[in-house]
Amino acid sequence: MDYFRQGSASLAYGSHRIFLVGSILVSSGILLAAGGGSWDITNHLLNKPETFFAPPHLILYSGVGTSVVGAVMLLTSSRSIGRIAWPAKLALAGVALLVSAGPVDFAWHSAFGLDGLFSPPHFVLVSGMVATSLGGLTSMMYYRSMSLRGAERMRLHPALIVIAILPLWLALSGVVDMFTLPFSKTVYFNFDPNPAAAVAIASTAFPFVIAACLCGASALSGRRFGVMSLTGAAFVATGALTSILPSDSLHSTIPFYLLGMIPIVAADAVMSYRFWRPFGIPVYAAGAILGVTFFMLYYPLITHTYNEFIDINRLVWPSVTAEIYFEMMQTVYPLLIAPSAALGAVGAIAANKLGSERKIL
Amino acid sequence: MQRAILLAGGVAAALAIFFILSLYVIPQSFQQDAMPSMPEALVSKVTLSSRQITLGEPVSISVTGTNAGDEADMQIVSIGFPNLANGSDIEVVRHDFRQSPLLVERGDPVSGNYSGTASVLAQYPSIEVFSRPWEQGSTYTIDLQVRPEAEGDFVVYVKSVAFPHTWDGAHYPREGLVDYQQEFVESYSIEVTKS
Repeated sequence: MDYFRQGSASLAYGSHRIFLVGSILVSSGILLAAGGGSWDITNHLLNKPETFFAPPHLILYSGVGTSVVGAVMLLTSSRSIGRIAWPAKLALAGVALLVSAGPVDFAWHSAFGLDGLFSPPHFVLVSGMVATSLGGLTSMMYYRSMSLRGAERMRLHPALIVIAILPLWLALSGVVDMFTLPFSKTVYFNFDPNPAAAVAIASTAFPFVIAACLCGASALSGRRFGVMSLTGAAFVATGALTSILPSDSLHSTIPFYLLGMIPIVAADAVMSYRFWRPFGIPVYAAGAILGVTFFMLYYPLITHTYNEFIDINRLVWPSVTAEIYFEMMQTVYPLLIAPSAALGAVGAIAANKLGSERKIL
Repeated sequence: MQRAILLAGGVAAALAIFFILSLYVIPQSFQQDAMPSMPEALVSKVTLSSRQITLGEPVSISVTGTNAGDEADMQIVSIGFPNLANGSDIEVVRHDFRQSPLLVERGDPVSGNYSGTASVLAQYPSIEVFSRPWEQGSTYTIDLQVRPEAEGDFVVYVKSVAFPHTWDGAHYPREGLVDYQQEFVESYSIEVTKS
């Protein structure tokens, strides 16, 4: 008799731990990879690197390596019960995409030199990041569901929530960046998005993604105050480290960037207060509050997307990015507040629905 | 109920502070305090191996660019050859720029009027080499070898442009001959005689 089996979804005790560590490594790897990717975009803007062997690529691919190790651990621990759990399968599929993107990216660099943000290997890479981070998140939830009962099954430790949600948020942001930033024109290909379509996608997708990820983080903690703020702070820290700090001319704007935490903490307070009636109000309100932060949270890169639509002939050089952005803050952003609030509410509702136990596991 | 009202009030106040700071106070103060970056592009040295050569013989050209102003996000040194039909007779011997030199062929889209965005088609081959960024006071040099295709005067145009182009000092030279890009150039000529 196997004393360690707890029904069909259970793992042996040792495998149980390995499964959790694997999930954490899968998500941490994507966090590294996505952070490296974000730094890589900034590095291209500032230094125009010409070689594949740039420091951000090193971070990116060491993140991929970490995810591979995590995925192998998920696979080996799942084998102890004779079948691979679907979150582990998702993580494995994502890792397979990541691993296949590496050599193709190297070959693409070798054939076409400096590549743009959107290229076939980059798209495979970012798709792999989304799948793997989703695999990491659901694996952690799966691990949790194996040993606990009732509402506790769906709750994760705050640190695990940040490790699971942040990579997914960054990877989804990477997908949106790929289809909105005008960085994909090279000597050989022009994959730059249409400026109007890019603005429409950015104004729609970013508020949705922010609200969905942060409300998802709150839901996973049982709407405990602090978890949404912690996840938001981790995103802000990643943005500051990878997009602002490498550029000397943007250092003075860090206090402005940190202001983005005010609405996140406010939304967290709204979401965690349990006595609102009707019950849906905090979800709509928190989503709307989070949605309006998109123009700040995606600073400075978002400047390029909107500038391309407003004045295609004006170049956003690193040293004038803040100047152009603050001009947009007063002219463009006021027009975006209402739609971004609405899309934030939609994102929060979607996260709330997906966050229910029935829909995920 | 009272807690809910307090919470709603606190959230409203926090959002009001957020919007006032991010929509008005910080953008206004940033725009008032911001000093535009003023890079100053210079071509500090041009050396030709000879002023007179025989047809078939190569001429060596060395061009040194300097940024005497604020750090430039990018500064270009351009060396144009109006007498060449194509770039096959140009060879980059060495350079210490941050990025690799680009060969611009006749018909390639290039920027004009110091705008930095492609707006005109190249009328003759040139070598464009740049550093991104180009630090304050830094100097970069490129050495070329060119083989003129015909006898007579072989003309070489040299210029440098720094970005962002915020003032007249961001380009060199500041006056004189204007090329097809509507930008000032310094002209050098080499007499090519029959062998």
